[in-house]
Amino acid sequence: MDELLEQFLIEGRDLIAQASADLTALARDPADRAALDGLFRAIHTLKGSVALFDMAPAERMLHAAESLLDGVRKGQAAADTALTDALVACIDQTDRWIEEMERTGALGDDAGRDADRVVAGFTGEVAAAATAPLVGPVATPDWTSDLLVRERAAVADVSGPLIAFRYTPDADCFFRGEDPLAVAAGVPDLLALAISPRDGAWPDAATIEPFACFSVVEGLSSAPIDAVRTAFRLVSDQVVLVEVQQLSAAPAAPERVARDVLRVDAARVDALADGLGGLLVAINALAPLAEKAGQVDRTLAAAIRTVQAGIERAATDLHASVDAVRSVPLEPALRRLPRLAREIAADAGKSVSLTIIGEGLEVDRQIADGLFEPLVHLLRNAIDHGIEPPEKRISAGKPPEGSVTLRFARDGDMIVAVLADDGGGIDPDMIRAKAAARGLMTADAADALDDGAALRLIFLPGFSTAETVTELSGRGVGMDAVRMAVERMRGTIAIDSRPGEGTQFHLRFPASALTTRLLVVEAGGDRYGVALDQVVETVRVDAGALLPIGGGTACVLRGRTVPVLSLAALLGRTERETAPAKLLVTRASGEAVALRVDGFAERIDMLVRPPVGMLAAVPGVGGSALMGDGAVLLVLDLPGLVA
Amino acid sequence: MDGDIVFLEGRCTAEDAETLLCTLQDHPGSAVDLSGVRRMHMAVVQIVLALAPTLRGVPADPFLARNIFPQIDLL
Repeated sequence: MDELLEQFLIEGRDLIAQASADLTALARDPADRAALDGLFRAIHTLKGSVALFDMAPAERMLHAAESLLDGVRKGQAAADTALTDALVACIDQTDRWIEEMERTGALGDDAGRDADRVVAGFTGEVAAAATAPLVGPVATPDWTSDLLVRERAAVADVSGPLIAFRYTPDADCFFRGEDPLAVAAGVPDLLALAISPRDGAWPDAATIEPFACFSVVEGLSSAPIDAVRTAFRLVSDQVVLVEVQQLSAAPAAPERVARDVLRVDAARVDALADGLGGLLVAINALAPLAEKAGQVDRTLAAAIRTVQAGIERAATDLHASVDAVRSVPLEPALRRLPRLAREIAADAGKSVSLTIIGEGLEVDRQIADGLFEPLVHLLRNAIDHGIEPPEKRISAGKPPEGSVTLRFARDGDMIVAVLADDGGGIDPDMIRAKAAARGLMTADAADALDDGAALRLIFLPGFSTAETVTELSGRGVGMDAVRMAVERMRGTIAIDSRPGEGTQFHLRFPASALTTRLLVVEAGGDRYGVALDQVVETVRVDAGALLPIGGGTACVLRGRTVPVLSLAALLGRTERETAPAKLLVTRASGEAVALRVDGFAERIDMLVRPPVGMLAAVPGVGGSALMGDGAVLLVLDLPGLVA
Repeated sequence: MDGDIVFLEGRCTAEDAETLLCTLQDHPGSAVDLSGVRRMHMAVVQIVLALAPTLRGVPADPFLARNIFPQIDLL
């Protein structure tokens, strides 16, 4: 993809998020000046960005929005609901166009009509101003905003336009007898002056070339632009002048400017994590080495152990740093949700508000990326099937507008996401009837399930509670796809619903996904890795406690009957009889299942590589891990294996 | 130069930049006293900014004092 476009896709979405946040603040408090200015800036910058591409309708629409906001800033119009609604439509449309640019690299044929529709929503007298012709290049260069922020104290008492100048003297100007500082000193009504290194950082003492100018002079003047131009007349080719408007919200901006952000290709961070994984594996080989050395020379063994401890400490620190680099706030991954919620609700003829809480939490990038799809599906489900139509809600004594809340919280090493709606809830009896009707189980078996277990049936493949298959939810992804997507991220999903009150989905994910704590188990003469977070418990029971039931085996654990499967048999191998029987209890679709294994071995931290090639096609394989001795450990995906 | 303090005085021209650079390179950690400075060429200013020695005194030139080395007011 074109680098410029790539940059635009990232920054455009940042601006959309900024604008959306400011719009929300403005809708709450129409007098919020900082939000108004922020929104104006975001739309202004967006307009400048779309102008770089073949996006004329977007530019036209954003220009109209900008003029509209300018009117509000000048007190010519009020930031009322009609205005914020129109602007939400404008931001949503821009977001759709950015998506279109990403997908196809161009706007569709309808773009002009869409722009007209949005602009038509800008009502009132300010709309007249909004249709005024576009004037000149408007994108303000970054350095001027930085300058304004940096020098805000110096310009605070000045009203009216300012002239910002950036003077980049030729490197060899000293040889010509020029003194750039003397030139800058000649600028009339100078308010602020700053000298900074041309290349972003001062050269270090050893490499400084004292006869070359390596500085840039920036400043602000309140004199008319022509007077400033005159001061620079001899070096006019080295100076840029820009007329800038002071932004009243400038003092609020420094934290955003001050934060140095480096955008790094995600693949490089992955490579770093991969390399670190290799290092951790290599370190695992040191302990056996010390052991071996100890048989010959105990002092040498002790020395190796000391070195090992040092390397381990350094690697642990590095691990934490890489984890932190890979950690991203959830917020960007969730940005499209509010718009999608509005669209889904509009299509369903419902009114729904989506509240997101805790989106500032940081999680591993893999998790942030993987969360979007399942959340969208759950959101669709909540709006399509959970939230009732307005008239039905009113008759049930609820507000006509449905509410969906998505809340994130941290629980130790896990991230918990709860998506809750205040809709009609799910009737377990209806689920039982459906499961029986679809042949997933007999009516008797369905009736025997408690309500919680009945609700969990919706995660079974081939189950859909939709009364009518709508365009949105009828895309062939059922709740089983959501469950699988969640489990792929080593997460779990649970459901809780009360008829008439609403439904809640609880999702849990590991916050960091770099290395996985594995339990090594033995089965059928081989060793396998199992992610510890898939293990509920490990128990040893008397062989006599295993009861044949029907065609299978079960045992009673903590007062509950749990089916017992042989791991060796599941893997197509022969089980060795051990006494007492060793059981590993896991959870599949919310139900406890015990797996009989030959033995439990060590617990290790490993980098698990996703399955590739033929392995990827085998159900129940979660990936592979490279052991310290070079052997490959097959890592099992227990829910997939048991399903 | 007096002890570990470099005194800049009067008009500091472009030629003085190299002298200052060499002095600071030879005596790292030296402070620079600006109180006698009446004019300072860009070439000297950028050496002072780049090497960031400890600064003392307020330049006699109000333009320099106000715009380039305002932090000295704090001392």
